[in-house]
Amino acid sequence: MSSRLDRLRGALGFRLALYYAAVFLASTLALAAITYVLLAASLRQADHDLITTTLRRYAAAYQRGGLPLLNRVITADRVAGRYEPVLVRVIGERSEAVYFSMPADWRFDLEQLAGEERRLGAAGWAELRSLDGNVLEIASTRLPDGTLFQVGKSTERRAELLARYRGTLLAAFLSVALLAVAGGYALTHSALRPLRDLTATVRAILQTGHMQARVPVRQPRDTLGELSLLFNAMLDRIEGLLGAMRGSLDNVAHDLRTPLMRLRSRAESALESGGEEACREALADCLEESDRVASMLEILMDISEAETGTLRLQKQRVDLAGVVRDAMDLYADVAEDRGISLHADAAEDVCVHADRNRLRQVAANLLDNAVKYTPRGGRVELAARREGAEALLIVRDTGPGIPPEDRPRIFDRLYRGDRSRSERGLGLGLSLVRAIVEAHQGGVTVDSTPGGGSAFTVHLPACD
Amino acid sequence: MRLLVVEDDPTIASFLVKGLQGAGFTVDHATSGGDALHLASSSDYAVAVVDVMLPGMDGLALIEEMRRRRVRTPVIILSARRSVDDRVKGLQAGGDDYLTKPFAFAELLARVQALIRRATGAADPTRLAVGDLTLDLVTRRVERAGRPIELRPREFALLEYLMRNAGRVVSKPMILSHVWDYSFDPRTNVVDVLVHRLREKLDKDFDRKRIRTVRGMGYVLEA
Repeated sequence: MSSRLDRLRGALGFRLALYYAAVFLASTLALAAITYVLLAASLRQADHDLITTTLRRYAAAYQRGGLPLLNRVITADRVAGRYEPVLVRVIGERSEAVYFSMPADWRFDLEQLAGEERRLGAAGWAELRSLDGNVLEIASTRLPDGTLFQVGKSTERRAELLARYRGTLLAAFLSVALLAVAGGYALTHSALRPLRDLTATVRAILQTGHMQARVPVRQPRDTLGELSLLFNAMLDRIEGLLGAMRGSLDNVAHDLRTPLMRLRSRAESALESGGEEACREALADCLEESDRVASMLEILMDISEAETGTLRLQKQRVDLAGVVRDAMDLYADVAEDRGISLHADAAEDVCVHADRNRLRQVAANLLDNAVKYTPRGGRVELAARREGAEALLIVRDTGPGIPPEDRPRIFDRLYRGDRSRSERGLGLGLSLVRAIVEAHQGGVTVDSTPGGGSAFTVHLPACD
Repeated sequence: MRLLVVEDDPTIASFLVKGLQGAGFTVDHATSGGDALHLASSSDYAVAVVDVMLPGMDGLALIEEMRRRRVRTPVIILSARRSVDDRVKGLQAGGDDYLTKPFAFAELLARVQALIRRATGAADPTRLAVGDLTLDLVTRRVERAGRPIELRPREFALLEYLMRNAGRVVSKPMILSHVWDYSFDPRTNVVDVLVHRLREKLDKDFDRKRIRTVRGMGYVLEA
């Protein structure tokens, strides 16, 4: 229970609602207090005005016509009901009560005022508290003949009015408080909705392991909406990578099965035949096959590392002419043997910022491909040049070209056009080329006309 | 010369031990890091070949412990992990060379010998001789039975490499990396073509063929 409470207290929504309600209530309270104080002050002022005007009027009547006139005026007032009930007291020079009238239901002990009178002297205000808690406000004035003239009024009605007002305020305050809490809750509830969606999505993914769940985006332009969008984009990326990994794992599994099957069948048939020479042959085949598997794994690892950006590149200034020279040197004999003429056309000073060995691997792979598919009497050209901000490495052959339907897929892993299936090859070379080049922020394009040869162009950002 | 092989997989261990014995070494074999540490600290080995994945103390910990105990035996690390980081870690732990499984035995042997050469500081000869074949590294003259043979630079590099490893198989990737400094798997027969050319010049006029193809493994220059 307490942990639940803690969690509630810790919840962002709860805290926000609380702050909201607190601010809302504090302002309401301040407003109420101000109106209350103003109201109380103005009521008090009204009472005082009444007392002083009455005092002035009665004193004038007394001075003009003595007690009889005062009596008439008071009686006329009472009959007319013009004024609220007041206390009127006239005290003579020798402290004898000349006149006294007080509404019957008032319970004030005027004796208490005796000392007060002297202290007040000529004129002033005094307050007298009754036994039932009411307060009598009394204004006094000393007439020229020495009599003390007093008019008082009970604050009872004022107190009643203020009490009613307080009651109203309290009721209003309570409903406002309710409104504040409810409003705060509703506000934070709706504001935090994207976060709750996010939490729900993450929890769903963690619990089910399905990466398809996405955060619903209601307001794409607000801060949390942007977070949701970004989160979804990240999920897309992860799902893509997972898919690619699963795909490449499937590919690896698939493409390992074939050579493993070859290994098995070679070993099996050799064991069955039992001949020593056959066994030697089979063992040699098995070795070659296993080398092929190892090299395939190596390339697959390179490709996946390059594609996921984890391939370590030791970047340095590399002169493409040197790369071209090295590749030419590697294939010179093979090309000569196959009756293919090999040409280099490398401009000097075409420089890129790249991993030298990886770049040599790219050139060698492309040249290997070209030499492999170019028939006797053909021509293979390796060129490097600069075009604007790009350094280009071009391998052009006069081979059979690539049919348009194959072109988009030649860079796919382990894809080989039908024509090349009979030839030995891993079908990974071009995938590796593309992966390495893209890891260098470059691209590979292919130009080909069936029967008219192919040209592979590696585009890399040239360095200055 | 005495070598130490630390490998827990029995098949690979016996392959390594037999192969190294066949190459003329005396070989001790340990299957765990603890045993290996004991052996390495008690006797003097020319080279230790250490697998990374071992039960108990792993290969890297073993090498670090050896280095802490001032055992300076050169170490070749064998590992099924190929990333640059693993390689760096292995070399930082105190290894001298790093070989990724699967590897050809010839590759391991070449590295063992390179380490021994480095450790003993044997001066590089300026002239190599195998049977009736001589190769002068300074004048770049090659003769067989007193008859000069004209070689192109790549053929010369290949012959030098074969002669340095005379009697031992060198694999195609080893040749590719040594002659051209390329480490990848060409689909065309780049190496075969060069070997063929060298053969043409070296063996054509002689009954005894020096360069022999070992199917599935590579080439060997017969001593």
